[in-house]
Amino acid sequence: MIYDRTNTGFMGRFLINGLMFFLAAVPLHAADTAGVEFFEKRIRPILVERCYECHSAQANKVKGGLRLDTREALLKGGDTGPALVPGDPDKSPLIKAVRYKNQDLQMPPKSPLTPGQVRDLEQWVKMGAPDPRAVAAVSPSGRREINIEEGRKFWAFQPLANPVVAKIQSGRNAIDAFILAKLAEKGLRPAPPADKRALLRRATFDLIGLPPTPAEMQAFLADQSPDAFARVVERLLASPQYGERWGRHWLDVARYADSNGLDENVAFGNAWRYRDYVVNAFNHDKPYDQFLVEQIAGDLLPTAENVAVKHERLTALGFLSLGPKLLAEPDKVKLEMDLIDEQIDTLGRAVMGMTLGCARCHDHKFDPVATEDYYSLAAIFKSTRTMDDLKTIAKWHEPLMALPEDFKANADHEKRVAAQKETITKFIAEANRALLIALKTSTLPPKPESRYPTNTTAELEKFRSELARLQKEAPELPSTMGVTEATNVVRAFPVHIRGSHLTLGKAVSRGVPPVMTISAQPKFAEQQSGRLELARWLASAEHPLTARVMVNRIWRWHFGRGLVASTDNFGALGERPSHPELLDWLARQFIASGWSVKALHRLIMSSATYQMASEAADASPLVLFGKDRERAASRSSVSTGEDSENRFYARFHQRRLEAEEIRDALLSVAGTLDLTMGGKTLPLKNREFVFDHTSKDATTYASLRRAIYLPVIRNHLYDLFEQFDYPDPAVPSGSRNTTTVAPQALLMMNSELVREAAEKFAAHLLAQTKLSDAKRVELAYVKAYGRPPTVRELDRAQRFLGQNTDKNGGATGAWEMFCQALLAANEFIHLN
Amino acid sequence: MNLASFQYLSRRDALQRAAGGFGWLAASALLADETRAAANPLAPKKPHFPARAKRVIFLFMKGGPSHLDTFDPKPLLDRDDGKPFPAAKPRVQFAATGELLKSPWKFQNHGKSGLPVSELFPNVAQCVDDLCIVRSLHGTNAAHGGALLKLHTGSDNFVRPSMGAWVNYGLGSENQNLPGFITICPTLAHGGVNNWGAAFLPAAYQGTPLGNAAIPVTAATVRHIKNTRLTPTQQRAQLDLLAQMNRDHLAKAGPNPALEGRLNSFELAFRMQIAMPEAQDLSKETEATKKLYGLDDKVTENFGRQCLMARRFAERGVRFIQVTHSDGDVQWDQHGNLRKGHTKNAAEVDKPIAGLLKDLKARGLLKDTLVLWGGEFGRTPAAQGARDGRDHNPEGFTMWMAGGGVKPGIAYGATDDYGWFAAENKVHIHDLHATVLALLGLDHERLTYRYAGRDFRLTDVHGHVVKEIFA
Repeated sequence: MIYDRTNTGFMGRFLINGLMFFLAAVPLHAADTAGVEFFEKRIRPILVERCYECHSAQANKVKGGLRLDTREALLKGGDTGPALVPGDPDKSPLIKAVRYKNQDLQMPPKSPLTPGQVRDLEQWVKMGAPDPRAVAAVSPSGRREINIEEGRKFWAFQPLANPVVAKIQSGRNAIDAFILAKLAEKGLRPAPPADKRALLRRATFDLIGLPPTPAEMQAFLADQSPDAFARVVERLLASPQYGERWGRHWLDVARYADSNGLDENVAFGNAWRYRDYVVNAFNHDKPYDQFLVEQIAGDLLPTAENVAVKHERLTALGFLSLGPKLLAEPDKVKLEMDLIDEQIDTLGRAVMGMTLGCARCHDHKFDPVATEDYYSLAAIFKSTRTMDDLKTIAKWHEPLMALPEDFKANADHEKRVAAQKETITKFIAEANRALLIALKTSTLPPKPESRYPTNTTAELEKFRSELARLQKEAPELPSTMGVTEATNVVRAFPVHIRGSHLTLGKAVSRGVPPVMTISAQPKFAEQQSGRLELARWLASAEHPLTARVMVNRIWRWHFGRGLVASTDNFGALGERPSHPELLDWLARQFIASGWSVKALHRLIMSSATYQMASEAADASPLVLFGKDRERAASRSSVSTGEDSENRFYARFHQRRLEAEEIRDALLSVAGTLDLTMGGKTLPLKNREFVFDHTSKDATTYASLRRAIYLPVIRNHLYDLFEQFDYPDPAVPSGSRNTTTVAPQALLMMNSELVREAAEKFAAHLLAQTKLSDAKRVELAYVKAYGRPPTVRELDRAQRFLGQNTDKNGGATGAWEMFCQALLAANEFIHLN
Repeated sequence: MNLASFQYLSRRDALQRAAGGFGWLAASALLADETRAAANPLAPKKPHFPARAKRVIFLFMKGGPSHLDTFDPKPLLDRDDGKPFPAAKPRVQFAATGELLKSPWKFQNHGKSGLPVSELFPNVAQCVDDLCIVRSLHGTNAAHGGALLKLHTGSDNFVRPSMGAWVNYGLGSENQNLPGFITICPTLAHGGVNNWGAAFLPAAYQGTPLGNAAIPVTAATVRHIKNTRLTPTQQRAQLDLLAQMNRDHLAKAGPNPALEGRLNSFELAFRMQIAMPEAQDLSKETEATKKLYGLDDKVTENFGRQCLMARRFAERGVRFIQVTHSDGDVQWDQHGNLRKGHTKNAAEVDKPIAGLLKDLKARGLLKDTLVLWGGEFGRTPAAQGARDGRDHNPEGFTMWMAGGGVKPGIAYGATDDYGWFAAENKVHIHDLHATVLALLGLDHERLTYRYAGRDFRLTDVHGHVVKEIFA
């Protein structure tokens, strides 16, 4: 929420002081009679008519907590001091407000009082503000005090528990023990194991975001060994496409985009380096604690010997810099505070699952985070430099990523420029000398160049245009989006009352929210911003939220629903964990494994919980887990109605593919997917307008690279992304929605993307000249769905092909129509 | 590009419904009638209280038209031309400004109401008795991007649902084969899609853009609305095959409303392919109507077509229609060339707007259609550059409304003597939003959506309904 100076105005200056109510009128001293008369005649009517609507007990909502209907409330005012100073109109905020001279403090908000009314109020204050109205009794403070000790009792701020794992049944692991215990408690039964085709398709999309190839399916079906699935998991985790799939999950959380969006949509031409950093981090299983520290304070880590390591850490800082910024905000102080707010809010949601941004304007209404805590964090970011220049259009900072050869190329280029300039200087000197001789004089005429012979002028022009060309080609030293240290460390930073930089309160020093601090506050270095201490505090095994939030995210990405369903909100308004012991047990495993994400995948995917069927249990026969077969069979009468949201994991969730998976699956089946990794893919220069007032769109999405490499344009997403629930890249998101809207159908029916995929798919089938049509249909089903068609499906397909073959016997069109239907069908974009 | 959503079903919502007792039966009923309220977020909803207007046509003048040269004459500005502004200029200004600049255009009183309109708008002036001119608008952001976002979404620094999305969320749509919120030729700059986006509201409520400001309205279509390769018969055959495949899959997967919703969405899309081009087709309009909107004149043709199309959408029950006047420049943004620029801009929109008002009135649509006209801010009384330009001015400007339950033929509120600051009966952007919602029968404090642990509103924690302008 942002302070809005025109609308909150005067009332914005006063905090809620508590609920007050009228008591009976009290007797007055006779000496006050004249004053009281003045009040009754002149002042009370003004207050009643113009102020009480918002500032009295009868107001719907007392604005800014200021009431003007009792003497005490009036004198007490808000946190910037009383509403008035009896005897001194010039020092009284109320008088300042009604004078309407200060643009940021004007009351009543809709239109000013008459000059006469203003004079009366001034006169009244001068008289000492006599006021016969009841002295109100003040009820216990209406302002909720934040009690840290109480706050720590909330589950999310408790230290990780060390739950005991129940007895593990054969063929299952510790996760299953927790899940089964809860199912038993709820009287639910687990679904049987998934069939092998469904399991491979599920795991392949899950880990690499692509469909299994027919060969992979064949191999898995043929492998009867007990560790067949474990080996599939290892193969997938080792695939470079794994980092592209799971890195993309983190990019959702990091609100990754290739453009600023918001008010001025300019290109983040170097954001791709951060994207690639994330993909590599997942592929190399970078420990999550290290991953976090690099993203928050990569520049402050002890100097790395290796320049590649140094650059990697600088690239990680993109996390803090990638947010949308109001680059044309004319109020520069606000611009900077909005930016810091965006950083704090993102950090809070992404790492802690906390909505810290709420504490910008007031103490958090639901969680034990005070405004002071917010500004303690803000002091750290105020000590950090994100922007180099706030002039419209503001310029964000980019640390240099230059290698020795870049510097050399730059130096070489500068030498060439200097040499060219030297050539020109010499040439002019020579030409001037010739000119003197020709004119037979010893002083040069004004504008000597105008008197050069034509061929000399032409030659000079040639040299100059060569220089201009050289200068234009100046190599840019590579840089990356990221922050650096500000010139000064802000050790005391004022609380911005109601979030406004125009009303400053008491100063606070750098710090972290005490409710999440189990031991002492970090000790902040005197000469550094404090980001490193902040990062290490977050990445510590002691932090109550960091590990919980991340294991919950990973669980969500595997199962479609987090153990805490609100993945980005672990606060009071978030959901409570469905399996608190499992969550803490997983968090401890995660930390104990050295914060290894891949270890967590192995643990989760080896569970029977992950390998369950998604269908109603009585629908499919059982094949796997020999020892469990009978038991599973006996439990096959699962009723999904008892837990329709599947909160307790009695079966695996069916899911629709995500936007990138749909796009990549289309190209994959069409055989056109290009698996080249990394690099810049945005077709724009850094800081160039993506959209200016011409509304022309220079971005294209025709690339055949994986979807993670398609440009992410804020305010104007690729339509396939937009339609298939891609998250808003302006805010962190750990849980995508799945919606069904008609434009998705239009896209599947009419877009070039799907049409071309169908054409390529059909061409591939028709190119199998040795195959019969029936065998072609079978191949199509295996490629698209990982299974052969049923007899009914085969018949239907052949009938359709026959009916749509054209008069001349041309079948290409019919095959294309058939292939497009296969790709548009639910089975293609849904997983069991 | 985001297309509107005609049928929406999140898996979770669907399952929640199932849990709520509708269950399999409701899901099956989808096959028969997808417009059932139980399943369709765009099904018409009852307002909070009786509505004065059923729909909105927002005529958005991008760049910030000058109130001082159109609907807010200032005698003192004429008198003090060339003198300094006698009070403090705003704390934050977009750019430096010079001395006061009187309007180059003459104002004349019009109609029975006698309201003044400048000579820039001779045709709209004929409709002045239908206008409710609010002269005391004010906003917060002096840059285009921030001001556009503020006007369209109520927030300039967070991504929030747009006004049209909130209206669709609150009221649903009256035509299930068309989007409930259409924006014709919107600008992609300065907030772009966010200006018609749904943000955290369900995607079903987002605006559907027809083209954008870079293309003429004749070329503006909904993305993927047409299949360029198959004949309708072929496509029908293909969709029949698809439906069979989807039904078989559904039978295997077991009850799943999300799968059913998707099965159904193809039928809806097929119908949209017919409904949308029909609504956009102006060829069946009479010559007189075309003329009324200025389709016979190159200057007015493009905007005239947009306005006429807006009327056709209004007739077909589209809830919120935005028409944007914007070109390859920042159309109304005359820091310089005020005389030339505003003359050209006004000439392009004057006749079409008057045509729209007259046409709506003649068809009995004006009484329950709220027409809203204005830009993201006004302009300064102080000159810029060579005294032929004005700077951005969010501190005080004019917007007008017509129809939809507002008092006709009045001016409400006032700026100061020179027109810099809103001074009397001030109406903040939040107040405008609260008022538009109220006219539609929605209480801006009750129209909330819970997201990330908070109940959000179009008006955030602000907004006063300007009841004084209600008819």
